[in-house]
Amino acid sequence: MAGSSAVLEDSSLLSRLDRALLPFERFAALISGLAAFSLMFLAVWSVTGRKFFGAPLLGYVDYIEALMPVIAILGVSFVQRDGVHIRMDIVIGAMRGRLLWLMELITTILILVLIIALMWGAWAHFDRSFDFARPYWSRDSSIDVSMPLWPSKIVVPIAFAVLVLRLLLQIWGYARAFWLNLATPVAVPLVQSAAEQAREEAELLQGGD
Amino acid sequence: MDSITIGLWVTGGMLVMVVLGMRVAFAAGLAGFLGLVWLRWDQFNYDPDRFFKALEISVKIAGQVPHSKVSAHALSLIPTFILIGYLAYHARLTTALFDAAKKWIAWVPGGLAVSTVFATAGFAAVSGASVATAAVFARIAIPEMLKVGYDKRFAAGVVAAGGTLASLIPPSAILVIYAIIVEQDVGKLLLAGFIPGMFSAIVYATLIIVLALTMKNFGPPVGGFTWRERLVSLPPALPIVAVVVIIIFFVYNPFGGDAWGTPTEGGAIGAFIVFCMALYRGMRWGALKDALLETAKLTVMIFTIIWGVLIYVRFLGFADLPSAFSDWITSLEYSPMLILICILLAYAVLGMFMDAIGMLLLTLPVVYPAVMALNGGEFVSAEDSAFGMSGTMCAIWFGILVVKMAEFCLITPPIGLNCFVVAGVRDDLNVQDVFRGVIPFFIADGITIALLVAFPVIVLWLPSLA
Repeated sequence: MAGSSAVLEDSSLLSRLDRALLPFERFAALISGLAAFSLMFLAVWSVTGRKFFGAPLLGYVDYIEALMPVIAILGVSFVQRDGVHIRMDIVIGAMRGRLLWLMELITTILILVLIIALMWGAWAHFDRSFDFARPYWSRDSSIDVSMPLWPSKIVVPIAFAVLVLRLLLQIWGYARAFWLNLATPVAVPLVQSAAEQAREEAELLQGGD
Repeated sequence: MDSITIGLWVTGGMLVMVVLGMRVAFAAGLAGFLGLVWLRWDQFNYDPDRFFKALEISVKIAGQVPHSKVSAHALSLIPTFILIGYLAYHARLTTALFDAAKKWIAWVPGGLAVSTVFATAGFAAVSGASVATAAVFARIAIPEMLKVGYDKRFAAGVVAAGGTLASLIPPSAILVIYAIIVEQDVGKLLLAGFIPGMFSAIVYATLIIVLALTMKNFGPPVGGFTWRERLVSLPPALPIVAVVVIIIFFVYNPFGGDAWGTPTEGGAIGAFIVFCMALYRGMRWGALKDALLETAKLTVMIFTIIWGVLIYVRFLGFADLPSAFSDWITSLEYSPMLILICILLAYAVLGMFMDAIGMLLLTLPVVYPAVMALNGGEFVSAEDSAFGMSGTMCAIWFGILVVKMAEFCLITPPIGLNCFVVAGVRDDLNVQDVFRGVIPFFIADGITIALLVAFPVIVLWLPSLA
């Protein structure tokens, strides 16, 4: 299970920008969750229709394939904000002070380089299927119900654009922590021990009990 | 420079980034992207005027991977399985399951520990969360075991080990991920996990009963439950059983005839049942919103690794590194079985330092083709193969073995995460206590893995029927 890391807040401009971006990220993640939730109803509709009424949901596979980028990618910035992405923390977990913030700064800059490149490539992928002059502005369509594919393709560059903003804030946060030699910087995910993460998850799970 | 040398440099660079703490998904994606640029520029003889062209081509190759790869219909199983897990928490299935297991099984020697194993395995399977399940059951089951006089170290060991049974019993997101990466039938892999998962649980239970019978004052039976109490305890726990059974029936119908549908549909119907249960138990919009946000977080995290690794895999294909590694492995003058055991041991070591999903996704693109080559290739028949099974069956068998190894690492000293978690949740236990308590299960798991290697039929019987 994904463990989240603590992100501290204060009244600085960086922290205010962090909190200003967070509602958009959380909304995007909620859309991801709702899309996953809708998969469940689509399947129940399809199976019930096929088994009991001899009428499966037409375009079931098309709808799922269109929803998948929303489910899988739209919330990417929210996950980065909370530091949920998996990493091997045996080395970085042992670092302290400026060395730790320098390593975090370098790896975050490298992630930014990757995401800018992918945003460019994902936009090109969308651009190849989008054309104002055609019906539904679309150059390609899904197999069963001929749904245009560009709406699902544009999800990726949009999600990556939000992620770029998040990465810029984190780079600022780590650079500031390095420069000022801060112990507990704001707006960046702080490393938690396995026991701390487990305790948080246990609280979450037992909340339902 | 030849493509294999570039492949080795890029792979080495990626491993350095991972060890230094870069997020696995982005380290793989960056390595793949930079590797694509390097390979293309190498083809242009490092002409500075054509660098931008090499960059543009690589950006377009890498940039389409996130959308095109995550759009696959089969991958929709992953969010569905994760959703089942988060809804299961709100359906209050943890206490319901432990209560039912206790009332039905606690009369046997070591009964509470056996009940804990089955309750933990059942909930971990449905929630898909080994570590979190260990944390929850450390609070529910350990106090009850201590009340009837269990050794606290052993009680902690039971909970830490029970959580490791999650990844094999359906619904298993990690088996879906494995199936996608190695391009094998998802349904057959889910089916293949069922018997080894149950087998592991039965080995644990047998071990506890034997210890209870042979050691004095060890885990007394707990009786006194009426049949009425037992029957009343069942309905709240039934959704767990229903989810597992439905997913199996949507892949393979044991009574003959067609399967009921696709694994994706089975997962979604399972999620719907748990959702209805959660609604019945009082879940409202606030709790549902939390469940959806947590589902989104975990789903996005897993998919980010998938598309990141698939960019790296795209590069590996151009660099031809997997086939070079396969050629090297098959040229070794050792028996294929010995090499396979060494590979499994390497996973045991790696699993101590890395999350199972990250470990499998990073290594499988190179290791899986090598294992298939050891067996005689993807399309080899059982008669001509090294391990006595067809290519498809070898893929399933190896998948179950590596997933079992990854789970095994959760209780392996010095970094077995489940042990740290149980110790972290309980103030009266330290990590050494839990590691000591888990030793019998550690040995049992070693025996189970040896049996799965020696008798592949345990894994392959069920999928061979589908």
